[in-house]
This record gives sequence, C-alpha cells and structure tokens, in this order.
Amino acid sequence: MLAQIASIIAPIFLCACVGFFWGRFDKPFDSRMVTMLSLNLGIPALIFSTLTKLEVPIDAFLRIGGIYFIATLCALIFGYGFCRIFRIDPRTYVPVLAFSNAGNMGLPLSLFTFGEEGLALGICIFVISSICGLTIGPAIFSGRTSFDVVYRNPPIYGILAALLFMAAGLQPPRWLANVTEILGGMSISFMIISLGVAVSRIKVQRLARGIMLSAVKLMLGFALGVGIAESFGLIGAERGVIILVCSMPVAMHNYLFAERFDRNSSEIAGMVLISTAMAYVTLPALLWFVL
Amino acid sequence: MGMIAELSDVVLPVFLCAAIGFAWAKLKFPFNNEIVTSLVFNIGAPALILATFAKVELSPTALAELAGAALAAYAAFGVIGLAVLKFARLAPSAYLPALMFPLTGSMGLPVCLFAFGPDGLALALVFFVIGIIGIFTIGVTVAAGKFSLATLLRTPAIYAVIVAVILEITGTELPQWAFNTTDLLGDIVIPTQLIALGVALAGLKVSSMGRSVSLAALRLGMGVLVGLAVAELFGLSGTARAVVVLQSAMPVAVSSYLFAQLYKREPEEVAGMVLVSTGISFVTLPLLLMLVL
Repeated sequence: MLAQIASIIAPIFLCACVGFFWGRFDKPFDSRMVTMLSLNLGIPALIFSTLTKLEVPIDAFLRIGGIYFIATLCALIFGYGFCRIFRIDPRTYVPVLAFSNAGNMGLPLSLFTFGEEGLALGICIFVISSICGLTIGPAIFSGRTSFDVVYRNPPIYGILAALLFMAAGLQPPRWLANVTEILGGMSISFMIISLGVAVSRIKVQRLARGIMLSAVKLMLGFALGVGIAESFGLIGAERGVIILVCSMPVAMHNYLFAERFDRNSSEIAGMVLISTAMAYVTLPALLWFVL
Repeated sequence: MGMIAELSDVVLPVFLCAAIGFAWAKLKFPFNNEIVTSLVFNIGAPALILATFAKVELSPTALAELAGAALAAYAAFGVIGLAVLKFARLAPSAYLPALMFPLTGSMGLPVCLFAFGPDGLALALVFFVIGIIGIFTIGVTVAAGKFSLATLLRTPAIYAVIVAVILEITGTELPQWAFNTTDLLGDIVIPTQLIALGVALAGLKVSSMGRSVSLAALRLGMGVLVGLAVAELFGLSGTARAVVVLQSAMPVAVSSYLFAQLYKREPEEVAGMVLVSTGISFVTLPLLLMLVL
C-alpha cells in the first residue's frame, strides 16, 4: 500500500523539488509566463481532455456530484467562518481551505481504494470539484463580483466545451484530443515545477502559518467528509470516496489564481506542498478509516 | 476519408500548437525562450527519454538499428550538403548545420508520436539524440570553427540515454514512482517545443528569400531521398522505416538559426531557410505521411 501511495505522491514532490532547486540555484524562471501558459492554454486543455476521456454514469453523477457540491458549499462557509474568527483574508484563504485536490490525487486514490466503482465515483466528484474550483475559486480570489471575472477565465471555456461533448455523448475528434492532451500534460508539470520555485522563495516566518493552515485544511476536510457522509447516510464506496476526496490536500490551481490575482502566491504554493506532504503521513490512517 | 482523418490527427495538432505559439508571440504575451529551452534541455528531454524507453517494448537490436540508420542519414546529409555548398560557392560554416540537422525535436517527435504512438516516439528519440550529439560536435565545430567536447558532456539527454540503455540491457524496470515522475516531467517537452517553434517563427527576421528557398528545398528534398535510401539500405520496415524517413525529411532546425546568430554566420538567410522549409513542411507533411503510413 505504501508503494502505491508513494507512486501517487512522489511524482508531485520530485517535480516540486526540481522547481525548488531551480529557484534555489537562482536559475531564471518566469512565473508570470508559466501562469499565463497554464491558465490560458494548459488548464483549459487539461480540463477538456480529462473530462472528455471520462465516462460519467449520469445518475451516479447527479447523486454523488450533488452531494459533493453541497460539501463544497459547506467547506466554503466553514472556511469563511474560520478566516473571520482568525482574522485572515478570506479572499486568499477560503478557496485554499475549501478546494481539495480531487484530480491528480483524488482520482488515483479512489481507484486504488475502491477499484472501478471508486474511480467512477471519483470522476463524478472530480467534475464538480473542477467546475467549482475553476469558477468560484477565481471569483473569490479576484476580490470582486463582476461578470468579466467569469468570461475572462479561459478554463471556463474548457469546461463548457467538454460539457457540450459529454452532453451530446460525443468523443472529440482525435486531433483535438491529441492537442488538448499534450497541452494539458504540459500544465500539470509546469504547475508543480512552478510551485517548487515559489516555495524556494518563501520566507520562513510565513512557513509556520502555512503549516498550521494546511493542518486546518486537512482536518476541516476530513470532518466535513465524515459529516456529509453521515448526514446523507452514505455507505461503502460512496462514503469512502466522499471522505477521501474531502480530506485531500489543497488543490493546485489555487496557486495559479493566487499568482494571477496577486494574493500571497508563494505562501499558497507552500500550503499546497505542505498539505500534500502531510497527506503522505495521514493517508495510511485515512485509507484504513474509509475501508 | 479514413486517410484524411488519419493525416489530420497527426498534422493538425502539430500545426495548431505551432500556430498557438505564433499567435502568442504576436499578441506579445510573455514567452521566455531561454527559460523554456533550459527547462526542456536540462529536465524535460532527459525525463522524456527515460519515461519513453520504460514505456515501450522495443528490442535493443531495433534501437541499435535505428541508431545506425540515423548516423548514416546524418553522414549523408553532411556529405551531400558539403558538396552542394562547395559547388555553389557558399560558406559551409553558415549553411551546413542548417542542411545537416533537421527539426527532429520540436516537429519530428510529435509527428512520430501522433502517427505511431510511444513506439514511434522512442525510435524518433533515438534519431533526435544522435542529432543532438551531431549538433554539439560537428555543428558547433563547423559554425564556430573550433571543437569542444564540453558542451556535449553538459547535455543531460546523453546521460539519460546511457541510463536508459543500462536499464534496457540489464532488464531492470523503473520503479513505479520513478516512472510516474519522469513521465510527468517529460510531458513538458513536446508542447513547449511546438509553442516555442511558433514563437520563433513569429520572431524571425528574413531579408532575402531567393537563396533561402532553394536551400530549404534542398533540405527537404534531400531529406526524403536520403531517408528512403537509408531505410532501404538498413532493411527497415514498418514504424522504423517511417520514423527514419519522417525525421530525415524534417525542415531546417530552429537551433541552426540560433547557432548562425550566435556565431554571426548569415543569421537572416538561415532564418529564411527555417521559415520557408517549415512553411513547405506544413503542406508536404501530409504527403510524406501518406508515403510512409
């Protein structure tokens, strides 16, 4: 089991290490270019490519996706409450506390823990989580509620295009699948390398807060997952996957939006990595709990 | 219809990504070629080599055969290029690298990947790495007028090949975490190189076209013929034959332009060759694919 978890978490870490040493050795790096490439090309392509490759069972989608949507709303409310109580900027920290890494960690873990059934559930949750993370996320980070935040957000077009194909039950043509797959692949590695570079420039006193907030995120997520599973009377794989995904570390796209809207992006990069590292320790216990 | 669809699966992604790069540069969005190249050269390319060779089940003989064919092809490009340049009384220092080293990386790799999957990519990488060795030895010597082994030894891709070969020979498999990591890091190579190609095309300064057009035609024409001849000579078939022909017939490498610029060897003419041969390639690539598919 540890080898399985390592094969999911180690790539994220080693990739981030590449970025970290890149930054430490003061090799030139341009976060603005990487963020622009990721937000304008990579992420829209990634979301399109991933969503159109998945087979989403529609009734399970409505049920479990709906439940996860409620979980996300609760996470946003609790996150807001937490920020108010501890007097930290909700515009920066609510999305970080609320959006979990349902994609490159949630999906493989759901598959690994509950097999094909788990993967199907994980996929439904991932669809909802990306839609929320890529729409509500930037709306909060941008700090203003105006329509241009929505339509000047390229990932939305990736989602819309994918939803069109999914609703029509069509597979995208091979060439489109090829383009979006390679551009999407670029964005994951770029994003993680960029996280590493950002962390290499972080100030140490900020690190302490990052560690505390990461622990809060993981605990809040876990408590919420259990609470939601209990209140909807979920059992078996449904219960397991909901708890699992809610307890995942901070979603990576938070870093991109923080960078774009200039909100403590290096601290948020730190939180992504710290919470991922913590997950490495908490995962065995978590898997034992849900199984 | 099936054929056209199959061709567009290969050509359109390459063209679209390069077009995105071109538009990116024209829109004046930030693109720092130095950083991207450095990431690809130091991290991405070695990772791609390790991950691709771990993914495919090609026999060491097949890989060695392709390496031999690639060497023969580069040698033929060198000899033919040198002869034509002597005949036309043009300086080899300016034009030989451009004729000798096709765009096997940014364009050759995605074409072979989309046409033949990971097997095609692995074989194309062999051709590409031998080209890199050629550029850093013969290419630099011709353009700079001096030989230096240091650049070659500072090329991480070479070490990745050595590791991949050792793994292959000893029958060792990469552990899952190492494979996943190199796979992830290798993913940056193809898209960023295609985008960088588009960005580079947008930034080329071309003065006169006349000589560039004929030299570009020479690169492409010679490429196809040498590719076919070498494949025949080595008795290659299927994917291996197609990869040798495709890689041989790629347009003038953008790196030739960078060299020409660095060593002040007619950069504008070489820029013209890059632009013209890449432009022609987008048109002739479907025909070439029909020839080998």
